[in-house]
Amino acid sequence: MNRTVLIVGAAITLALVAVLFVGLGKDPAEIKSPLIGKPAPEFALKAVGTGQTIDIAALRGKPVVLNFWATWCVPCYQEHPVLVQNAQIIPNVQFIGVVFNDTEDKINAFLRERGSVYPTLLDEQGKTAIAYGVGGVPETYFLNRQGVIVAKFTGPMTTEILQSNVAKALQ
Amino acid sequence: MTAALGRFIVLASVFVSAAGSIVAFAAGRKRSLDGLQMARRFAYAFAALMALATLVMEYALLTHDFSVGYVAHVGSREVPTWVTIVSLWSSLEGSILFWGLVLGAYIAGATWLTRNQHSDYMPYAIGTWLGCATFFSFLIAGPANPFLTVPAAPDGPGPNALLQNHMLMIIHPPFLYLGYVGMTIPFGFACAALLRGRLGHSFLRPLRSSLLLAWIFLTIAIMLGGWWAYEVLGWGGYWAWDPVENASLLPWLTATAALHSAVVMERRGVLKGWTVTLVQGSFLLTILGTFMTRSGVFNSVHSFTQSAIGPTILVFLAATLLYSVVLLALRINSLESDGRIESPVSREGMFLVNNLLFVLLTFTVLIGTLFPLINEAFKGRQMSVGRPYFDSMVVPVGTALLFLIGVGPALPWGRATKQQVIRSLLLPFISGAVVAIIGFIAGVRNPWTILTLLFGGYAAFVTFNEMFRGGPKVVRRGRRRFGAYVVHAGAVIVLVSIAVSSTMRTSKEVRMTRGQAANIGPYTVTFIAAEDRTEPHRQSTIARFAITSNGKPVTTLEPRMNQYATMREPIGTPDVHSTLTRDLYLSIMNIDPGTQTVSVMMLITPMVSWIWIAVFMMGIGGVIALIPLRRAAIVSEAKDSVPEDAVTA
Amino acid sequence: MIFLLLVTALGLPPGPPEGAPLSGQALEQRTHEVASLLRCPVCQGMSVADSPSTVALDMKQHVHELLARGYTEEQILSYFESSYGQFVRLKPRNPLVWILPVVVFLIGAVLVVVTLRRLSSPTTENRELRTDNPYLDRVRELVEKE
Repeated sequence: MNRTVLIVGAAITLALVAVLFVGLGKDPAEIKSPLIGKPAPEFALKAVGTGQTIDIAALRGKPVVLNFWATWCVPCYQEHPVLVQNAQIIPNVQFIGVVFNDTEDKINAFLRERGSVYPTLLDEQGKTAIAYGVGGVPETYFLNRQGVIVAKFTGPMTTEILQSNVAKALQ
Repeated sequence: MTAALGRFIVLASVFVSAAGSIVAFAAGRKRSLDGLQMARRFAYAFAALMALATLVMEYALLTHDFSVGYVAHVGSREVPTWVTIVSLWSSLEGSILFWGLVLGAYIAGATWLTRNQHSDYMPYAIGTWLGCATFFSFLIAGPANPFLTVPAAPDGPGPNALLQNHMLMIIHPPFLYLGYVGMTIPFGFACAALLRGRLGHSFLRPLRSSLLLAWIFLTIAIMLGGWWAYEVLGWGGYWAWDPVENASLLPWLTATAALHSAVVMERRGVLKGWTVTLVQGSFLLTILGTFMTRSGVFNSVHSFTQSAIGPTILVFLAATLLYSVVLLALRINSLESDGRIESPVSREGMFLVNNLLFVLLTFTVLIGTLFPLINEAFKGRQMSVGRPYFDSMVVPVGTALLFLIGVGPALPWGRATKQQVIRSLLLPFISGAVVAIIGFIAGVRNPWTILTLLFGGYAAFVTFNEMFRGGPKVVRRGRRRFGAYVVHAGAVIVLVSIAVSSTMRTSKEVRMTRGQAANIGPYTVTFIAAEDRTEPHRQSTIARFAITSNGKPVTTLEPRMNQYATMREPIGTPDVHSTLTRDLYLSIMNIDPGTQTVSVMMLITPMVSWIWIAVFMMGIGGVIALIPLRRAAIVSEAKDSVPEDAVTA
Repeated sequence: MIFLLLVTALGLPPGPPEGAPLSGQALEQRTHEVASLLRCPVCQGMSVADSPSTVALDMKQHVHELLARGYTEEQILSYFESSYGQFVRLKPRNPLVWILPVVVFLIGAVLVVVTLRRLSSPTTENRELRTDNPYLDRVRELVEKE
């Protein structure tokens, strides 16, 4: 019996299998945002349609649902009605949409067709998206009354997810 | 009906392989020749069942039987027939069935070829093979069953669109499987030697030949994967150190090391335990590799989604790891050395250094791939280990290996005197210096590349010298040696081409409107037009470019941007003009047919075609080394392979 | 205060640029280098320099701008790390992953030297290969194989 081989071999086996086993429980595509629990990065952007500039800091005092999207994003079409509907029925929560890498014309056309009940801001060069760590669209951030990001959701929004995250923001 | 038939056959194969494995191990224990014969029959039966199951699946695919689960997943009436045939391996369940087919063929082949020899080893080998077969049958019959019955739809989605893009994607998986699955055979032989408690000289041949065969396929497969990435993915590179790419490389590294230590084992009768360990490691790395590819644990371009198959493969990996470790611990000491080495400064010594470097590479790639997972397990945060890491780590080791390809064969077997060392290093060094100077004149400034050229020129000289020593007779008689040097020659070209193509690349990103032109290298690239094209599974925007050089037309390139209905982001397909000296590569960054403007990345990469050619050359070298000798040549080969100081009657 | 707001509104790293502003060829070169160290958040493992996706192009543009203002590589990488996470750095900072291969090499080198010494030591027997007549053994084995 070669003890060295046994010990080294057993150690490698155990370590490898343990690491892989733990890995099975996780989804590599789900990346946790480092901004959760931190104050939302500041920005001030122009809203399409009204041309009014909205500063995120000025919205403190109310929870904010910050939704990043674009007209070239297919799942965004799916989630838009969910956002519009919930914006109208959930009281005292500010909904804001931010579109990047897009043109005002396309956005206005989209909103005319599908409805717009809250401001949609244009982030022309995507700098705000970068500041928030937006990878793809759609991605939605939930801010509480103090302007701290409490949750981030990647992918098209559903009513359940929206409402449970808003509940977090209201705490 | 078809689905039920398929399920039945696959279930039968689980029992057949399990029974066969038990019979084989019992035959080994009892040293029963009848038992061995019966075990052989089980082996053939398993192979037959896998072949039958594959035929049933192909029948279901070709008749568009959408009641069969896998056909509903990848079948389609719209795609051409050849796509239907190859969609067998286009998706997870079908590819596991394909694995079973290849495994069956290999086991049947190896069993048949050894039917008259090594009867004291073979029961254990067959037992091990059929044990692996049991697992794969279980996978096919259980978590990865392609024969599930589903409600029949009128049509299906067809195989993954990316896979229909390019010819290379059709042949890459079969080669990869032939390489990967092929590692099971030498694994069986290695375990047989351990179970028997000895590794005799005559048993080396099946061990080495089966390892070499799998190695050849794996070498070509890795090259095909890189070539495909280059032609299709659009970033202009061919290797990104993606976890799944690494999965194919890891067993190749240990197999190459094993092939080398096997030479020392054959000549001197030493390093038996080590070679066996490397062979086992190569097989285990294929199982780890398949786990990495299919479990969904790793972030990769190739990722399948998580499913039940991950845990099952992990169990198999744990089981085979344990089997291997226990066997090694119990029996490695009984694999006695038959001889010794005369001096560390010799070719034998260089083989050991070769092994050190290959194992170091294996470990480095493994650590880089697994580290994010380990880090997340402990710290809960995700991190990346990307190209910058691997490139920094691998380049020095690769350069050292190139140096070794030169020094190793330049040193004699046995003992090298100081004079011999100096003499064997001097002349090749001059040729190396010449190559490096030529490179410098041609504009090479990167220090690693200069070093690569120096070592490469040096190694090329030594390799060609050794290849043709003994004249043209070598090809007929000394095939193993000749083949090995052909592989080395290919390897030298590959390493030099990789160095040159990575560091001497020029790139330019330009925005052009219709009719505008830009220059890069010797080429003038003129943007002709952007047009939209709608295909059944995707929407493409194509940019047409006219390429001229010195006013003379060279070709037309049409890179495109594809939007698939199922994907969030568009995927670009580049277009490449390849010549022996350089490639012109165009990839679209941004395109607008409305305003007829395109933002295009232009790359000139020198010598990149040589990588594909030279790896293919390595495969050919392997084949040359594999071809068995005719009887007339056997005696002379026997003479050559016996060490000078062996005792003769 | 308002100045701070405006500054962060532009998406700049905290603090002043610690390097010299770049331009021309050097700027393009450095943009490519730094972009190669950032991971594209949406593609599987590709770097920002190589990826054609919208976010990657934005990030590359931002890197270009920051370098032009004189921010250093480390400042830029830290900035992206603060919004995307450690995940976005392709070159790992953990020293362990860099040191382990060196350790393996050293251990391996020692093992090779020890093995070579042992195998070539004068006390190691040079036993006969399997049979008394290796010539015959080889011939027999090769013939049997046919």
